[in-house]
Amino acid sequence: MAGRGRGRRPFGTDPSISRGEGLPPGLQQPTPVFPVMEQKPLPLAGGEEAEYLLALKQDFRGVMKNLPFFIKPAAAQRDVQRYSDKYHSSEQTNSLTDWNLDWRRFPRELQVHIRRRVREGLAFSTMDSSVPVQKKKKKEEEEVLLKLETLEKKEEHEQSSEEEEGGVKKKPEEEEGAEAEEEYDEEELEEETDYIMSYFDNGEEFGGDSDDNMDEAIY
Amino acid sequence: MTAQEVRLCGLLLQEHFGEVVEKVGRNLLKSGTQNLRAIVHETGLSVDLVKKSLCVLMQHGACSFIQGRKGPGSPTEYKAHCDRMLRILRYPRYIYTAKTLYGDTGELIIEELLQRGHMTMSNTVKTVADRLTQSMDEGSSMDYGEVSSTFSKLVETHFLQRCPPAVGAGTTGSSQTANSTSAAPASSTAPTPESFPDCYRVPQVTLIGRSKRPLASEEGEDQRNAKKAKMDPETHGDEGIYWQVNFERFHQHFRDQTIISAVANKLDQTSSEIVRTMLRMSEVTTSSTAPCTKPLSANEIFRSLPSTYNIPRHILDQYLTLLVDDPMEFVGKAGESGGGMYIVNLNQALANLARATLESIVQERFGSRSARIFRLLLRKRHLEQKQVEDFAMIPAKEAKDMLYTLLSQNLVQLQEIPKTPDFAPSRTFYLYTVNQLPTARLLLQNCYKTVANLMERRLFEAKESKRLLEKSQRIEAILASLQASGAEPEQLTEVEEMITAPEKQQLDSLRLHVNKLDSAENQVDETIFLLESYISSSTKPTSFLNDVDGMWLERKAHFDLDDTARTLRHNGQKVERYTKETAGN
Repeated sequence: MAGRGRGRRPFGTDPSISRGEGLPPGLQQPTPVFPVMEQKPLPLAGGEEAEYLLALKQDFRGVMKNLPFFIKPAAAQRDVQRYSDKYHSSEQTNSLTDWNLDWRRFPRELQVHIRRRVREGLAFSTMDSSVPVQKKKKKEEEEVLLKLETLEKKEEHEQSSEEEEGGVKKKPEEEEGAEAEEEYDEEELEEETDYIMSYFDNGEEFGGDSDDNMDEAIY
Repeated sequence: MTAQEVRLCGLLLQEHFGEVVEKVGRNLLKSGTQNLRAIVHETGLSVDLVKKSLCVLMQHGACSFIQGRKGPGSPTEYKAHCDRMLRILRYPRYIYTAKTLYGDTGELIIEELLQRGHMTMSNTVKTVADRLTQSMDEGSSMDYGEVSSTFSKLVETHFLQRCPPAVGAGTTGSSQTANSTSAAPASSTAPTPESFPDCYRVPQVTLIGRSKRPLASEEGEDQRNAKKAKMDPETHGDEGIYWQVNFERFHQHFRDQTIISAVANKLDQTSSEIVRTMLRMSEVTTSSTAPCTKPLSANEIFRSLPSTYNIPRHILDQYLTLLVDDPMEFVGKAGESGGGMYIVNLNQALANLARATLESIVQERFGSRSARIFRLLLRKRHLEQKQVEDFAMIPAKEAKDMLYTLLSQNLVQLQEIPKTPDFAPSRTFYLYTVNQLPTARLLLQNCYKTVANLMERRLFEAKESKRLLEKSQRIEAILASLQASGAEPEQLTEVEEMITAPEKQQLDSLRLHVNKLDSAENQVDETIFLLESYISSSTKPTSFLNDVDGMWLERKAHFDLDDTARTLRHNGQKVERYTKETAGN
């Protein structure tokens, strides 16, 4: 007598199992990542409006990447210090200086004074060297440099600081970049070199991946 | 904050503000309200970066701060707003709506405000005028006055609102919230922008002149100087007054559009025009949380119909009667004075639209027969398995299978009603039921998960072909500079050939995939909007009866709901349904 009691079949009974057989064997592996769909989904709505919305969305994303609100994490430290690092990192000047906040609407504690920001920036980018003594030394020297900066030329600065600290990174450039108004082209500003930045491109990024589809030879 | 919402917010923050802000935002969402030290400790970022990220989040309204909750001297605490972050998904729709309503100027104003979070009116007008001038022909430039007038129009129709002034030490803020219409306690909740009387007042701004065409690129340096110098001394009399986009108003607009198009699809163009007129007339008088519009008399509607629709008075009456009798219950009759008082049932309309969405989802996923069972259960509430088979006219075995599939997907619930204290299976009733609200919540979470998956897939695709994309960008930049300096066509073709044919194919297919995924995100967002509106409209504490009747009820000491329902039958809506249900069961 199937379904005793008015034909109701609650949970336990299943039409596909005849009595006494027990439950089907359990699954021995995880369910497939892309299970087969019995019903195919409908195509996307097309039309002018959808395309315009799509264009708006992609434009918006592109613009946001260039606004000062887009905070980039620090560039990953590479394995070996390179000479061109000195000239490369000046390109990533802190763009938050372009954004004038109205501090009346924000809590006091979030205010970072330029001096402190530079020092923190210092501490942050040299975190990988992970030598606290070196950090403090650098901080002090940067304070001194800040004072001297307004009077002396930058070149003498860098030489003296680099001699003292021996191969330290480009903190002076960052301060100057953060504080000074850029009166002339950024590339010439910091290091007073005669070369444009691409001179220091040591070619490590070029052709790093395998070139499967290249028909032409690389020179 | 569900796990899916947090994941989606994280992805949106990462795309628009970078990974640092994403980390901070995620931490705030998961841990609730926190102070600065705790955030720094948990995210492991430097104090400086955390401070900058918090500033960015606050600029865009995704985070707010509360001073010293545990008395003076305690640290400032920060709270993230998940729903505000999810709005980022809808930005293209806001911009497009502004374009349809106010043209290119309106579109750019909204776009600028969305990009920058909040801005003063003068800044916005200047930036927008500059952008418009760039796209105009040589020699002409945009007048500030035009842009200002569009800005004022946006404020008048409440699409833009002032940002609430910053809560200092909590003193001025709390005194203003006491006057607000919301019943929330004063000091613990942040004041809504609408609780300030000046919310929609356009300030007196002295901004006369035209925007300047940007100088040619050789003088770019001087111009940069000039811009920087100019920014400081100019003030226009509206310092400290910041404007932000009023999302609630846009949502109202979207909701109205959806209702109008639903009526147009179900009935015809003329009825949708009538509904559009009704909604337009009650735009500013109805608050965003009202369950229905204020009653409008048929005479008023007749007078306000657009002149292109020249229908005689009695035809209008017939249309209105048809709308009222329609089972979708978009329009209801609220009285007989003035030729008949009519209202648009907003909450009811949203519920019906959400129900249609749920039914369509079930239909597309499980087939039309499962959808038939689903619809049946929505209307008949509780049914036994045998009854389901009979009403749906589906053979027993298939009905059982479909029911169990729906049950395993949680779209259908099982209600046990025991006959005996021990829940013996042979002596219990098992009823299948569908609850619209919990099912809508479930499907909303599914939508969030869908959008997050789409975004991750898009990022993955872009990452795979990163090298190819960079190469194509470089080549485009070279081409653009060559064209600007007037190179010969041979040079151009030479540069173009640097991308080989298979690479071009790869690029094209990549572009196609990315566009499809982006488009899909936009479409899912439409469903998200509908379900979100429905859920928020049905969880608000709306009164059972509207204000007038509520006051009448207060005069009675105690009352019988059946009796009340019969007496207040002219109100329609919930009351009638209640009587129908109690009579039907």
